[in-house]
Amino acid sequence: MGDVLRVRALEAWYGESKVLHGMGFRLAEGEVVTLLGRNGAGKTTTLKSIMGLMERRAGSILYRGEELIAARSVGIARRGIAYCPEERGIFASLSVQENLELPPRVAPSGMATHEILELFPNLRERLGSFGTRLSGGEQQMLALARILRTGARLLLLDEPTEGLAPIIIKQIRNTISRLKALGFTILLVEQNVAFARALADRNYIVETGLIVDEIAAGEFERRLGSIQGYLGI
Amino acid sequence: MTTIFGIPAALLFGQLLLGLINGAFYATLSLGLAVIFGMMNIANFAHGALYMMGAVGAWFLLDAFGVGYWTSLFLCPLLVGIVGILLERLILRRVSHLDHLYGMLLTFGLALIIQGLFRFAFGSSGLPYAIPEALSGGTNLGFMFLPHYRGWVILVALVICFATWYAIEKTRLGAYLRAATENPALVQAFGINVPAMIMFTYGAGAALAAFAGVLAAPILQVSPTMGADLLIVIFAVVVIGGLGSIKGAIVAGFSAGILEGLTKAFYPEASTTVVFVLMALVLLIWPAGLFGSKTQSASTSVVLPALANETSLMRWALFAAMALSLAVAPVFVYPAFLMKAMTYALFACAFNLMAGYGRLVSFGHAMFIGTAGYVTAYVIKGWGFPPELAILAGTASASLLGLVAGWLSTRSSGVYFAMISLALAQMIYFVALQAPFTGGEDGIQSVPRGVLFGLFDLSDPAVLYVFVLLVFLGGFLFIAALVRSPFGQILKAIREHEPRARSLGFSTEHYKLAVFVISATLSGLAGSMKVLVTQIASLTDVHWLMSGEVILMTFLGGVGTLYGPVVGAFVVVAMQNYLAALGAWVSVIHGAIFVVCILAFRRGIVGELISYVSARQARSVAAGTRADAPDVVARRLKAGA
Ligand SMILES: Nc1ncnc2c1ncn2[C@@H]1O[C@H](COP(=O)(O)OP(=O)(O)OP(=O)(O)O)[C@@H](O)[C@H]1O
Ligand SMILES: [Mg+2]
Repeated sequence: MGDVLRVRALEAWYGESKVLHGMGFRLAEGEVVTLLGRNGAGKTTTLKSIMGLMERRAGSILYRGEELIAARSVGIARRGIAYCPEERGIFASLSVQENLELPPRVAPSGMATHEILELFPNLRERLGSFGTRLSGGEQQMLALARILRTGARLLLLDEPTEGLAPIIIKQIRNTISRLKALGFTILLVEQNVAFARALADRNYIVETGLIVDEIAAGEFERRLGSIQGYLGI
Repeated sequence: MTTIFGIPAALLFGQLLLGLINGAFYATLSLGLAVIFGMMNIANFAHGALYMMGAVGAWFLLDAFGVGYWTSLFLCPLLVGIVGILLERLILRRVSHLDHLYGMLLTFGLALIIQGLFRFAFGSSGLPYAIPEALSGGTNLGFMFLPHYRGWVILVALVICFATWYAIEKTRLGAYLRAATENPALVQAFGINVPAMIMFTYGAGAALAAFAGVLAAPILQVSPTMGADLLIVIFAVVVIGGLGSIKGAIVAGFSAGILEGLTKAFYPEASTTVVFVLMALVLLIWPAGLFGSKTQSASTSVVLPALANETSLMRWALFAAMALSLAVAPVFVYPAFLMKAMTYALFACAFNLMAGYGRLVSFGHAMFIGTAGYVTAYVIKGWGFPPELAILAGTASASLLGLVAGWLSTRSSGVYFAMISLALAQMIYFVALQAPFTGGEDGIQSVPRGVLFGLFDLSDPAVLYVFVLLVFLGGFLFIAALVRSPFGQILKAIREHEPRARSLGFSTEHYKLAVFVISATLSGLAGSMKVLVTQIASLTDVHWLMSGEVILMTFLGGVGTLYGPVVGAFVVVAMQNYLAALGAWVSVIHGAIFVVCILAFRRGIVGELISYVSARQARSVAAGTRADAPDVVARRLKAGA
C-alpha cells in the first residue's frame, strides 16, 4: 500500500461527549487532501487525534503502515508528522527566530533557515521581534515556516486562511503549492472553497464526526452546488 | 565615629551586608520556585525542605564521612536534585493532569514528611558547620570589614542568578521551557518530551535549593526546621516579583534582603515583618507583582460531591443524628477532647466554606483563629470582659482582619492566592511574637472562663460543654443554610466558571470577598471558643502549621461537603491526642495522610462516601433527576430576582 496515512473508524471523545464517530480517509504520497466541513464538524478534532493530542481516541491511524492509535504525541511528531494548529500556536514569550527554531529536527531532510526565509521573505526582518507582535498573516506564515524545519513530510494544516485578507490568502496558497511541488504530503482543513479548489487533489466532506462525501479535483466544478450545500454557504 | 542618619556607619554597612546575604538566599530560592511554577503551575511548598536537605546534608556528609565543604557544594545539589526528580516522577506526576491545587497540597505534605523525618534523625537544635578554610578571615574595605565567606556567598548567588536567567531567556533549552510554560500540548506535538522536561526542571529547582542550603550552612543555623520559616518569606518575595518571572524573583529577592537589612539598622522591631508589608503594598498597586504577567486559569476540575436526590428530611435527620451523638458523647469520651474537636470542626467548616464552595484555598487561615484567640484572651484577662463580650470582640477582630486580608488577596486566585494568604498570616505571626500584649513565647495563659450573660458559670464543665456544643451546632447550621442560599449558589457558579459568572453580571470580587470575610468571622468564633475551652492563647494558634492542619482536616474529611470538615477535625484531633507521645512523627504522619489522601482518595472520607452512595443511586435509578448545573441556577436566580 502506498498510502502515507490511512485512517479507519476513528472515534474521539472530549470527556464524555463523543465527537468523532468513525472517520475514514487516506492520503497518498505527495497528495494535498482537504477536510471540508461546517463549524464544529470535527475537523480540528481529527487532526488532534492524528497528532495524539486527544485524551481518548479509538480506531486505526496507519502512518506508512505503522499503527499510531496508541502512540504519544512526542513519538508521532518524531515519526515525521508536523502540525500547524488552528490558533497558530505562536509562543508569545519567544522571539520569531526562537519560534522558528523551536521544533526539533526529526529527519535530516529539514529545510535550512535560509531556505525557509526564501519561502517566507517577510519573516526575515521580523526575526528579532516577539511572537505575538506579528500580524495575523505573519503569525500564520511563521506557524507554517516553523514546521518545515523539522524534516516532517506529512503536514497537518488547520485552516491556514482563517481570518486573513485575500492578498495574504493568495500568498499562503502559493506557498502551499510550492510545498506540494517539493513533494510534501498535506492534509488541509478548510472552509474556504476557492482555496480548496485551487490546491486539493481530493476533498473529504466532514459532517458531525463522519466523512459523508469524497470529491476529487476533477469533479469540483460539477459538484460545486452540493459542496456549498454541505458547507451551508 | 561616622554616623549616617544617626546610625553608626559601621552598623549600617554591617546590616546592609547581612541584608545582601539574605537577599542572595531569597533570590536563589525564589528563582527555583519561579522556574518550577512556570512549568508546573504549583507553588512548591517542599522548596524549604529541599533547601534544608542541602544544608543538613552538608553537615551530615562532614560529620559522618568527613566530606568537606567544596565536595558538598557539588554533591548535595546532585543528590537532592535526584530526590527532586524522584519526587516528581513518582508522586507529583500522578496529579499533574488535575487541578494544580492538588500538586500544591502534595508538596505541602511532602515538606511535612521530609522535615519530620529529618527532625527525627537530627533533632531540632542547631548543627554547627565551619566556614571552609580557604574562605575564612576577611578584608577591611576601609568603611567596613568584609568577611570573605560572606563576599563569596553574594558573588556566587549573583553568578547563579545570572546564569539561570541567561539559560532561560537566551538559550535553546530555555526556549523549550518558555514554550512549554505557554502551551505544553503543542510543544509535545513538536516532538519535545514535556513530561521529561518537567521532571528535570523540578530536579534542577531542587538542586538549586540544595545549593543555597550548602551555601547557608556555615553562616546560618543548620537545623531541620531552617527551611520552613524561610520558605514563607520566599513566597512573599515571589509574590512581590511577580509569579513565574525570573527577573522578578532576582530583583525582588535582593531588594527584599536589602530592605530587611536597612530596617534592622533603623527600626529593628519591624525587620521580620517588613517584607510582608512590602508585599501588601506591591499588591495594592500591582496585583500581579512587579514583573508578573502569567494569568491563572479560572475554571476548576475539583468536583464537589453531592447526592443526586437528598431530601430536606434526610438533611435534618443527619443533623439531628450528629447533634444527638455529640450530646451524649461526653458519657463515653473525654469532654475536653470533644470540645477541642468541636472548636476545630467549626474552624474547618469555616475554612471549607471558602475552600470548598468558594474555591479559595487559603494557606493562612491560622491568622483568624489565632488573632481572635489573642483578643479574646486579652480582653478577659486584661480588661475583665465577660465571656459573651470577649467572644464578640475576638470574632469581630477576625472579621476585620478578614476584610483587610481578603481585600488584598481575593483579587487573585489559585496558587497566587495561596501564597499571599500564607504570607499575610506569617506577618500576623511575627506581630504576635513581638507585640507587647500577646505574651511572646508564653502566650496568654490561665484565662478565666467567667460567667456567660451573668447567668451561666462556664467554669462548670457541663455548662461549658453545652455552650460549646450549641455554638458549634449554630455555626454549622448557619454554614449549611448559607451554602443552600442564593448566595451559596452564586458562589458555586463563580467557582465552576468565573468568567461566565462575571459575564452574567455578577461582581465576582464582591462575592469572593464576602465569603472570605464570613469564613474569617466564623474562624474567629472558633478561636474565641478555643480560648474558653483551653484557657490559653498562644503562638501555635497563629503558626502556619495550624493553617496546614485545617487544610488537612478539610481535605481528609472531604472538601466541599458539609460534614467532611467535621469528620476530618475529629479524626485529626483524635490523632493528635493519641499520637502526641510520638513527637516528631506527628508531622510525618500528617504529611503522609496528606499525600495518601491526595493520591488515593481526593474527595475525602465523606466525599468518597457520597460518591459511593450516589453511584449506587444512579445505578438503581436509571434516569434520575440530576442536580441543576450551578450556572443554570445562577442564571435563573438572576432572571427571577
Ligand atoms: N475542548 C473541547 N471540549 C469539549 N468539546 C469540544 C472541545 N473542542 C471542540 N469540542 C466540540 O467538538 C466538536 C468538534 O469540534 P472541532 O473543533 O473538531 O470542529 P471543527 O470542525 O474544527 O470546527 P471549526 O470549523 O469551527 O474549527 C464540536 O461540537 C465542539 O463543540
Ligand atoms: Mg477547527
